[in-house]
Amino acid sequence: MVLERDPALDVVDMPINMGPQHPSTHGVFRMVLVVNGEKIVDLVPHIGYMHRGGEKLMEAMDFRQGIGYCDRTEYLAQFSAELAYCLAVERLMDLQVPERAEYIRVILTEMNRLSSHFMFAGAFGVDAGVFATSFTYAFPQREFLQEVFEEVSGDRLMYAYFRVGGLAWEVPDNFVQRVHEVLVHSAQGLKDIDDLLTKNEIFMARCQNIGSFSAQRAIAYGLSGPMLRASGVPWDLRKDEPYSIYDRFNFEVPVGNYGDVYDRYLVRIEEMRQSISIIEQALEQLPPDGPIVPEKMPRRLRTPPGEVYAKVEAPRGEWGVYLVSKGGDKPYRLKMRSPSFCNLSALREMTIGHYLADAVMILGSMDIVLCDVDR
Amino acid sequence: MTLPEGQDPEATSDAGATPEAAVPAPAAAAAPAKPARPAKEVEPKDAPRVAPPAGSINDVLAKAAAITLTAAYMVPEMKGECVAIEVARDDIPAVMTAARDDSRLDLNYLRCLSGVDWQDEGLEVVYHLWSISKKHSLQVKTRVTYEDPNVPSIAAIYPAADWHERETRDMFGINFEGHPNLVPLLLPEDMTDHFPLRKDNPLQEIEEWQGDNLRDGAGEGDE
Repeated sequence: MVLERDPALDVVDMPINMGPQHPSTHGVFRMVLVVNGEKIVDLVPHIGYMHRGGEKLMEAMDFRQGIGYCDRTEYLAQFSAELAYCLAVERLMDLQVPERAEYIRVILTEMNRLSSHFMFAGAFGVDAGVFATSFTYAFPQREFLQEVFEEVSGDRLMYAYFRVGGLAWEVPDNFVQRVHEVLVHSAQGLKDIDDLLTKNEIFMARCQNIGSFSAQRAIAYGLSGPMLRASGVPWDLRKDEPYSIYDRFNFEVPVGNYGDVYDRYLVRIEEMRQSISIIEQALEQLPPDGPIVPEKMPRRLRTPPGEVYAKVEAPRGEWGVYLVSKGGDKPYRLKMRSPSFCNLSALREMTIGHYLADAVMILGSMDIVLCDVDR
Repeated sequence: MTLPEGQDPEATSDAGATPEAAVPAPAAAAAPAKPARPAKEVEPKDAPRVAPPAGSINDVLAKAAAITLTAAYMVPEMKGECVAIEVARDDIPAVMTAARDDSRLDLNYLRCLSGVDWQDEGLEVVYHLWSISKKHSLQVKTRVTYEDPNVPSIAAIYPAADWHERETRDMFGINFEGHPNLVPLLLPEDMTDHFPLRKDNPLQEIEEWQGDNLRDGAGEGDE
């Protein structure tokens, strides 16, 4: 007698829906996972829940109004998004930004990188199962930084402080002192998070050898920022195609060896140290006074016809703005190349073959902002 | 806390520089309907195109891909950093393969892919390529018509193009032939008949309102 197995008990592929409302998707993101047991066989990402037609709306806004929309797109690195947009318009109009404005821009953008990476460290710890401890370490630091942004711009989140040609207004008198104060907090907060997570055995076990991506695949998928550097490509726009005044500062570009989730975490932690160093150098070199807008600033922003692609190294990677103008005070076409969008497109390949729980870690390591994916 | 006194950069200097500034703002009470402002749009004039120096990236590429370029010029606003080429759409796969594989070019990074609607002049696809090792960039452009909006997909050559092409199809209705999965990405699955970023798909009045409101003098008297 041959013993038959019941085919109904075979392990079969099963689709599982995750999101759009799910605490681990960092926003309104849905993925359909096909799992075999606990292994992921396939993954289909669904995005677009936050699509607001921003590129179309910006065609109806003039160049000053468009700055406000940049904040709403990249709401964790607002200054980087504003900077890319301003750089694009300035390049078309051939404007020279005054020294003091350039330094304040760099200081604020780098502080923004700190606050964004604090947000990452907090949320990523939660993804890894640290419960809320990493959040309680990281969020006060982000709050300290945001207080300075609020003092400067008047808003906690939607700053709209950069202007084409310079800045909206002068910073408060105690700006330099306040930044120094906050940097002390940030350095301490960074150390706390480092102590809590970096050498934690459970955290390392959940991060190492997960979601590894080779340099070649990372380049092919157009990954940028910490995602690309974790795969061992030392490519940082601040070094390789310096914009603004980044060529005046000394800093290192950290790269990873393995391209896994742990490397992406390490790269971001090291980037925060480098950012603190850049801010300190910028504070030292900051001219004590001077204009913050060009002297010959036209009353109305009008660009000649032309096209320009401006890019900055945002906390998540290359934030690019492709601006086509037919002349006049509005963009004819504006494309925002958002790093989250390009990074997220590699999720499928990165996740297949891993366990279901690792998908959360891989997604968390991308540090996506869904508003910026969907635009 | 109170903010420092706002200093509006747009309202600070040379009042007579633009023609609009000379037109006095109409008194609000006198005119219930806004009088049309005199149309003084600056006549767009195309900057003369500068050809790239001989032996530039475009020559290397044309030879490597064995095709003729429709046009090649330096992008003026990029200050001599970037060469732009225009090619026929059927040459796109050959151009992209050569750009990626030729060791002199090594344009291995597709940083951006965008569509532009030029109305009477058709639809354009713009590819921004970058070489991480050689640190040079190239813009590749191709034009198609509304009636025949087909462009060969390069998703097999640059995986990064996969989502960009899906987005461009959503927004402009450009059909990327040979794309493995050309279904709506950002738009709802059933929204395949109209394309939001085309110019024949205007914004609603409520969405335009902000821009028009500003054009009629708001922001000039900020201080």
